[in-house]
Amino acid sequence: MPALQVSTIDAKGVTARILRGGDGSKVTVFVDGAVPGVTPYGAGAHLWGDVPCRFAEEGRVVVLDGASAPAYSTLDDMKAYLVAVLRALALPRCHLVAHDAAGLAALLLSCDAPELIGAVTAVSSVAATPTGDGVENMTLAFAPLPRESRQAQRWALERLSYSHLHVDDALVDACSVTADSTAWREASARMAQPDASRRWVGALARAKASLFEICRGKGVPVPVQVVWGTHDPLGTMDQGLWLFRLLAQRQPQAHFHVINRAGALPFREGVDAFHQAVAAFGDAVVRSA
Amino acid sequence: MNPQEQAAGTDPHPLPPGRWIDVKGVRTRYYEAGSGDPLVFIYGGNFGTGDSASSAYTWNLNLGPLSRHFRVIALDKLGQGETGNPDSDGDYTMRAVVDHAAAFLRAMDLPPAHLVGHSRGGYAATRLTLDYHDLVRSLTIVNSGTLSPGVGTNEVVLCNPPFAKGTRECVRWVYENYSHAPSVVTEHWIDAVMATLGQGKYQETVRKMTEGGLGERVFLPELAKQKRETLQWLKDGRLQRPTQVVWGFNDRTAVLDRGMELFHMIAQHDRTAQLHVINESGHFPFREHPEQFNALLSRFVALHHS
Repeated sequence: MPALQVSTIDAKGVTARILRGGDGSKVTVFVDGAVPGVTPYGAGAHLWGDVPCRFAEEGRVVVLDGASAPAYSTLDDMKAYLVAVLRALALPRCHLVAHDAAGLAALLLSCDAPELIGAVTAVSSVAATPTGDGVENMTLAFAPLPRESRQAQRWALERLSYSHLHVDDALVDACSVTADSTAWREASARMAQPDASRRWVGALARAKASLFEICRGKGVPVPVQVVWGTHDPLGTMDQGLWLFRLLAQRQPQAHFHVINRAGALPFREGVDAFHQAVAAFGDAVVRSA
Repeated sequence: MNPQEQAAGTDPHPLPPGRWIDVKGVRTRYYEAGSGDPLVFIYGGNFGTGDSASSAYTWNLNLGPLSRHFRVIALDKLGQGETGNPDSDGDYTMRAVVDHAAAFLRAMDLPPAHLVGHSRGGYAATRLTLDYHDLVRSLTIVNSGTLSPGVGTNEVVLCNPPFAKGTRECVRWVYENYSHAPSVVTEHWIDAVMATLGQGKYQETVRKMTEGGLGERVFLPELAKQKRETLQWLKDGRLQRPTQVVWGFNDRTAVLDRGMELFHMIAQHDRTAQLHVINESGHFPFREHPEQFNALLSRFVALHHS
């Protein structure tokens, strides 16, 4: 598999760390949903494991490292950062593969900037799903401290997974280094303030409502797919299916894919299946988008 | 010129040239193209249906594109398309259909094949896998109400067509109601169905299944018995081959809930099991969105190639 090259790019005054690889007109951009203080592990480009390299065998790949992003107060901040980086990269319309909260940001961004985005894959994006009057989710309750420790990072990653087997030392090390960085710790401390936390949650609810309104109105303007793990402890398969249902109302080219025996990180637990589903979508839909 | 070729005429997506093979005394029609891992397609429906009739033409939008990478083979099932009818009344069963398809794979001397089964063909492909593991490399099940547990709504959606059975209007009505977009029911597709319906040997199956009562006396009771066993075997984890379930989201005859239940049943034992749902597609996702379906199938087969 081709190795990805690390570089930086200036995006409206912010230095974004990115990984690049591969070649060709088919461009896939991977975005993790790192939000310090919200994401329970030190997320970043390392989270995707081997997946981007597989895509680099067949096309051009860019991985945005969420760990180098500025601290977000709202989902709009995440959107603004994403669009700034995409514009700075000056890519052809890309297939945006976005995990967690970034899935919601990517879906909304495709409505604001369809000239940049040819298709969206939202992966385990609980933030984008309807929850109704859900019950409290205890998956990450009473986490071991300190959160940046290897023990706490492994605990969180395992709690979010179907199996602990993909949580190897390399992943734990990378997450620990990220979570222990000054930027992550400061951003986490800010998010721990009641006002900041309320602001993030409120903005997330408003962003979700915007997406639902778009889905019942004009629809998301680009092909879209939802990928979900069968055992995602943060969101049921039914939630993922509902997100697909909402998107499918107005977007004819919509897929829903289920990765068996995977939790909230299906691209790590079901690497082959994830690559198959996402690449097939790229083969059939993105090219003709 | 055979009926399929007549139907193909000016078809922009003709089937590859048809061939014949003797399968335990049954003259069997099949269509083949390409080289590489064998993909064998098993369509839906059953013999003796008077308001519609399936044949290998069902796969005409898939065989050509997929033959660029694989050896694609679509057979006409026992008593359907141009393949000969069952030898005896007692063989008007899905059991005989499955055994004939398995015997076809042996007669073709294929390495373990990637089976793709749709609707009743999804049942046949799955049962074949359960009975003859050595013949199968992987399994793709597409919108199979016959296989999946729960209540089928086929008989509700397609009951009492408002046109005389055997007419083009009736055939069009049936397939339009199967589909999400009526526009996917092309004149070429209807031509192919009419060509099958027009054969004397096919009409014989219609007479036997309806006037002769074989449908109610033999076919359906035997299918019910076999299905009970088949579902139990799936629950027991006997499938033992990589499987993906592909479902048209808007199928009213085999609704998505049934596909989800089927997937869960298989996924309990198969780590690699997958479920894919395609929007704006009824019962025939491989006809309504051939490019999307072909891409999913290509990638799946590449993942499990020999």
